[in-house]
Amino acid sequence: MLRFRAMRERAGSRSGGHDPDAPAIRVDGACKTYEGSDRPALLTTSFTVERGEFVSLVGPSGCGKSTLLGMIAGLLRPDAGSVEALGRPVAGPGEGRAMVFQDAALFPWLTVLGNVEYGLRAHGVGRAERRERALEAVRLVHLDHVVDRRPHELSGGMRQRASIARALVMRPEILLMDEPFSALDAQTRTILSDELQRIWLETRPTVVFVTHNLIEAAFLSDTVHLLSSGPGRIVRTYDIDIPRPRDEADPALLDLRHDMLERLRAEVDDAVEQRAQVAEVVAL
Amino acid sequence: MSTAAGGAGAAGGRTARASRGARAAAIGFLRRSWFVLLIMLVWWLVTAAGWVDPYKLPSPGDVLGTLGTLLTERALLVDLGATLLRLVEGWAIGVVAGVLLGILTGGSRVLEDGIRPVIAGLQAVPTIAFLPLAILWFGFNGTAVLAITAFGTFKPMALATYGAMHQISPTLLMAGRALGARGLFLQRTLVFPAIVPSLVTGLKMGWSFAWRALMAAEIVVTGAAGLGGVLELGREIGAIDVVMAVILVILVVGIATEQLVFARLERWVNRRWGLVGAR
Repeated sequence: MLRFRAMRERAGSRSGGHDPDAPAIRVDGACKTYEGSDRPALLTTSFTVERGEFVSLVGPSGCGKSTLLGMIAGLLRPDAGSVEALGRPVAGPGEGRAMVFQDAALFPWLTVLGNVEYGLRAHGVGRAERRERALEAVRLVHLDHVVDRRPHELSGGMRQRASIARALVMRPEILLMDEPFSALDAQTRTILSDELQRIWLETRPTVVFVTHNLIEAAFLSDTVHLLSSGPGRIVRTYDIDIPRPRDEADPALLDLRHDMLERLRAEVDDAVEQRAQVAEVVAL
Repeated sequence: MSTAAGGAGAAGGRTARASRGARAAAIGFLRRSWFVLLIMLVWWLVTAAGWVDPYKLPSPGDVLGTLGTLLTERALLVDLGATLLRLVEGWAIGVVAGVLLGILTGGSRVLEDGIRPVIAGLQAVPTIAFLPLAILWFGFNGTAVLAITAFGTFKPMALATYGAMHQISPTLLMAGRALGARGLFLQRTLVFPAIVPSLVTGLKMGWSFAWRALMAAEIVVTGAAGLGGVLELGREIGAIDVVMAVILVILVVGIATEQLVFARLERWVNRRWGLVGAR
């Protein structure tokens, strides 16, 4: 699996133009208000992600975490501010970034292997190399026994594994994951986040991971940005230096989760209080 | 049927099971066909009792007899072959043109705004209304009929394709783009496969529109071989048994293509694409 890393480093050095010292991702003063909405989805936000770092954006729905990820992915444009990946402004999807979606978003007419090979086909990689790299990625997520099945013949967890393989086969420097485990049952989710830790340790991409699951975020990440809603903003950043491999039942993680929950609760209480005050004023 | 179903007294579990199966099949058959059988019965009674002029309504036996003669004399088979060939050709031309235009209009805002209202407008005009135009352009011959058939297929096919383009999951497109697919590659490997299940429905609809346009055109343009020409000839010489026999042939062809071709195609696509409700 070290080959993943080596190949990526080579790919990185080949593509010139990249500033090797630049952080993986730099978000500088980005904000976003969706059309037809009177309240910003994301207030002015700045943060950086170092190369090889695992960062989670966590918070309740409507906190702007998916908006932020969409900007980094190049699927959304910030209203103001800038988003850079690998030292270059993000102009669109691709360019060393791969994405894993909440509902796996596999192509239903292709087999598992066909799905994993798709991005390589799009980049004109030859048949033999494509097959070899796809099989390698499929082995990495432990799906080598079902390469010929179609997505509807897989369980939710297997689908998400295939989706991760489809992203990893591109040997991305940056892996963007949008609530990848939120549609799974609790056991499958635990198993998959364990697997993700292992895969990350083996391949070491930069990861931006969006979730509303606090323990999942704490378990996986070097850094957790806690976001709050209405309007969305980062309210606190946690650096987590518990050595890996970690265990989800680690008391230190549970303490962290407790702390984050308290913080979020305080935010929600503030918001409720504000809204109550507004309601009172309106009632008068 | 009734003898097989009535074998309940047979000894042995296997025989009993088999007879239960046969009975279920017989009941299923009756449920689906009782009305047809009733019509046939009334038809037969009315003609046998001599209540109607046989020149207006021949008996079922006469119609079947005529059908048998027409088929054994081969003449009708030649007409049937000519019609089917024209149907498949016209349909195929219409399908290819319709799908291409549908993909273009579904994929480009400018083309969509300009072209879609035109197709929708054309869809409001019955295809057969263009037959005089086709005759003037192509002559009083099979080419005009073919053109009308293709055109009749083209309109619903383009609209079905266009509609399917708008139902592609945005996440799927995003996933494809994020993996680096763009341009023609994206169209060929993502957009087209994604619309295939809807296209199958369109193919079926196109086929029935092609059938209608073809029959109407053939009845008018009687020079070339074809079932429509036989229908028209039957009317001219007052051979109502011929007319009804040909209608029976058209009915059987319609049911056969639906069951043997489209129903199978639909099942295959549903299985392969893993659609809900696939059997």
